[in-house]
Amino acid sequence: MRVRMTDGRTLVGLFLCTDRDCNVILGSAQEFLKPSDSFSQGEPRVLGLAMIPGHHVVSIEVESESLLSA
Amino acid sequence: MVMKSSMEEDEASWGLGIPEKMKNNANWVDVTQEFKEACKELNLGELLHDKLFGLFEAMSAIEMMDPKMDAGMIGNQVNRKVLNFEQAVKDGAIRVRDLSLPELIGIIDTCFCCLITWLEGHSLAQTVFTCLYVHNPDLIQDSAMKAFALGILKVCDIAREKVNKAAVFEESTRIRQGEQRDPEVELEHQQCLALFSRIKFTRLLLTGLIAFTKKEISSVSEAQKLMSQAADLLPAIHSTLHHGIQSQNDTTKGDHPIMMGFEPLVNQRLLPPTFPRYAKIIKREEMVNYFSKLIDRIKTVCEVINTTNLHGILTTFLIDNRKVFGTHLMQDMIKDALRSFVSPPVLSIKCCLYNNHQAKDYIDSFVTHCSRPFCSLIQIHGHNRARQRDKLGHILEEFATLQDEAEKVDAALHSLLMKLEPQRQHLACLGTWILYHNLRIMIQYLLSGFELELYSMHEYYYIYWYLSEFLYAWLMSTLSRADSSQMAEERILEEQLKGRSSKKSKKKKKARPLSREITMSQAYQNMCAGMYKTMIALDMDGKVRKPKFELDSEQVRYEHRFAPFNSVVTPPPVHYVQFKEMSDLKKYSPPPQSADLYLAASKHFQQARLILENLPSPDPEVNRILKVAKPNIVVMKLLAGGHKKETKALPEFDFSAHKYFPVVKIILANVLLISVIIRNVLLLHCLLLDSAILGCSGLLQLTAVLVLDAGDLLSLSPQLILELILLLLNSTPLCYSTPHYPLQLIQLCLCEQQERPQS
Repeated sequence: MRVRMTDGRTLVGLFLCTDRDCNVILGSAQEFLKPSDSFSQGEPRVLGLAMIPGHHVVSIEVESESLLSA
Repeated sequence: MVMKSSMEEDEASWGLGIPEKMKNNANWVDVTQEFKEACKELNLGELLHDKLFGLFEAMSAIEMMDPKMDAGMIGNQVNRKVLNFEQAVKDGAIRVRDLSLPELIGIIDTCFCCLITWLEGHSLAQTVFTCLYVHNPDLIQDSAMKAFALGILKVCDIAREKVNKAAVFEESTRIRQGEQRDPEVELEHQQCLALFSRIKFTRLLLTGLIAFTKKEISSVSEAQKLMSQAADLLPAIHSTLHHGIQSQNDTTKGDHPIMMGFEPLVNQRLLPPTFPRYAKIIKREEMVNYFSKLIDRIKTVCEVINTTNLHGILTTFLIDNRKVFGTHLMQDMIKDALRSFVSPPVLSIKCCLYNNHQAKDYIDSFVTHCSRPFCSLIQIHGHNRARQRDKLGHILEEFATLQDEAEKVDAALHSLLMKLEPQRQHLACLGTWILYHNLRIMIQYLLSGFELELYSMHEYYYIYWYLSEFLYAWLMSTLSRADSSQMAEERILEEQLKGRSSKKSKKKKKARPLSREITMSQAYQNMCAGMYKTMIALDMDGKVRKPKFELDSEQVRYEHRFAPFNSVVTPPPVHYVQFKEMSDLKKYSPPPQSADLYLAASKHFQQARLILENLPSPDPEVNRILKVAKPNIVVMKLLAGGHKKETKALPEFDFSAHKYFPVVKIILANVLLISVIIRNVLLLHCLLLDSAILGCSGLLQLTAVLVLDAGDLLSLSPQLILELILLLLNSTPLCYSTPHYPLQLIQLCLCEQQERPQS
C-alpha cells in the first residue's frame, strides 16, 4: 500500500491496521520524499512500523496485483 | 477496544522486506475513496487489523507527522533546501577554492566543535558529518581545507576504530616573519598564524592518536610528547577564535550553526527510525577548554604505563575515564598481583609447589578463570560513572563464583603443601585476594551512590553504617590477613637465604607494602563511622525529613539499596532485620543521647584527621578528606554543645570538597530568606527616599509594615526580625538622611506590631 501524506512525503508499506478515523498502520514502511513514482527518487528511509494519522492522509493506493489475490 | 475482522496475509511477519513486486513498475490503484467510506462503517474504537497484529504492535509504531516522533519531518519544516556536498558545490552554496582566511578559521572551529560533540556521545551523522567538506575531500581544491578535512576524517576514523597507519597530510601556508606591518597586513598575518596553528594542532592530534594504536610501549612516550605540543598550541587557538566567520543563527542554546560548509540535515534520512534526537553542538569558547582537558586525560593515561601492577591500575582508573591496555598477558598480571598482595606459596619460586605439576594446573586454571572478570573490571572503570555503578553491581555475581573457586583451590593446594612441606601454609591465600576485590567492589558501589546523588538524606545513616561497621571492618581484617601471609612468606624466604650471605642479617625497617592501604582504609572507616553517628543523632533531634506516605517502608528501601550484595557469600549480606538489631542503640545502658553521638562522631573525624596527617606523602585524595574532616570536627562539637538545637535549623550536606563525604552545615534557612527580603525592601526604600517620592516618615511606616509581614509569613518571632534588621542596617552601605533612621525604623516596627491583632 502506498500512502501520500499532507507534507508531500510518501510511505510505502504493508497495510496492517486501520480504524474509523482512517489512521493507517503500515509495516516495513519506507519513506520517499518526492510524491511521484517511488522508483525515480533517491534512497528510501526505512522506518519499520509507522502510523499515519487519518487527517494527514492525502491518498491511498494499493498495488494492483495484491488486489487480485485477495 | 473491540477488534472486529482480520485479513489474511501472505506473509506471517511484517518485519521482513516488502516483496519485490511492490517496488518497481508496480501498478498502483487509487482506493482512497473506497477506503475512507469503508472506514466509516467501523464503530468508534473498532480496529481492522491483520491476523497477527495486536495492540502491542500498534503502540510501538512510529507516529508520523508528530515532531516528537517523526525525524523526517524536520527537513520539511526548514526554509532552506537541504543539499548534499555535490549538489551544494554545483549550486554554488559552498566553495571549494579561494576560501578566505576568516572562512577557513570559522569552518575549522565549527568542525572542532562538532568533533568534540561527537566525542561527547552524539552520532557522527549529526555532528562531524554535517560538515559537507568531509564528505568528499578530494573535490576540495583549497589545500588548507583539504588537509584539514582529511585530517578530521582520519581523527574520527582512529578514534572510532583504532585503525592503524595514517594517510598523507600536508602542512600549509607560509608565515611572514616579524617586520613592521600595517594593520591590514597584520590582520592577515594573525589569520595565517591562526590557520597554521589549527592545522598543526590537527596534525599533532592525529599523529598522537596514531602513536596510541602502535603496539610498542615506546610509542606511548612519543604520544605524550605530541600531546604536550598540541596542548601548547591551544592558547594560540583560543586567542584567535574571533577571526573566524561566525554562524548566521543564534547558537547560544546549542542549535547547530548555520554557515557555509555545514548542513545539519544532510544526513537526516540516514538516521535510524527512532524519535528525533538533537545533537547540541558546543560553543567555540568551550572547545578549547574541552581539548585541554582531553589532552590532560590522555597524558594521565600515558602515565599508566608506569604502573606495574594490577592494583595500581585499578586505583588509577577510579579517577580516570579512559583505558589503555598493557602488553602483558592478563594471567601474568594476575599472578603478579597475587604475589604482591598475599604471597601465596604456590607462586613463590622457592616453594616446592611451584614446579609441582598438579599445583600448577590448579593455579593456572584459577588464574585463567580470573582473567575475564578482571578484564571486565578494568573495562568497567572506563565507563561513565552511572554505568559503572550499574555494572559493578552485576559483576559481583561473577566474583562470588570466583570466591567459591578460590576457596576450593586453596583447600586443594593446602592439602598438597601439607604433604610436601609441613611448615608452610596455603590457608585462604587466594580466597583472601578475591575477598579483597569483592569488598572493594562493594565499597565502590556504595560510595559511587553518593557521587551520583542517588541517596536521600534519610538513607545516609544505613549506607554509612554498612560501610563503616561492616564492609570496612571486613576489609581491615582481610588486609591484615594478607599482610601476615606476606610476612610469613618473607620469614621463610629469609630462613632459606640465611645460609647464603651474611649481609642479609642487617634488618632494615622497610615500609610494608600494604601499610598505606591499611591506613587509608582506617581513615575511610572513621569518616563513615562519624557520618553515620551524625545522621542518627540528627534523626534523634528531628532534623531529618522522612517520607511519610502510606505504603512507605524503610525495609523495602534498604533491601533495594543492597540488593546486588545478595549474590555474595563472603561477606554475607546484612538483611534489614539483622541491621536493625546490630545497630540498635538500646543495647547500651544508658542508651546514648544525641549529644553523646555528636561527640562520638567528632572523635571519629578527629581520628581520621590524625591518621591522615601522619601519612608520609599525602596525595590529593588525602587533602580532600582532610578538607571535610576538619570542619566536621567543629560542627559536631557545636552540635554536641546544644547549639541551635531549638531553632528550625536543618542540616545541609556539602559534597563539593569530597564526593563521598559531605561537610555538614547547619543553617537557618528561613533567616537567609528573610534577610534577603528585608535588604531588598531597604534598598528600594533608599532609592525612593533619594527621589523624594514619599516623605521620610511615610517610607519608614511602609518599611515597618513590609518587614513585619515578611516575618509573619515565615513565622519568625518579631524579636528575631528586629535583631536581623539591626544587623542588616549596620552592614548595609546605605546613606541615611538622618542618623537616627535605624532607631526610628525599629521603633516603628515595634509600634506597628503592638497594634496588630495577636494571632
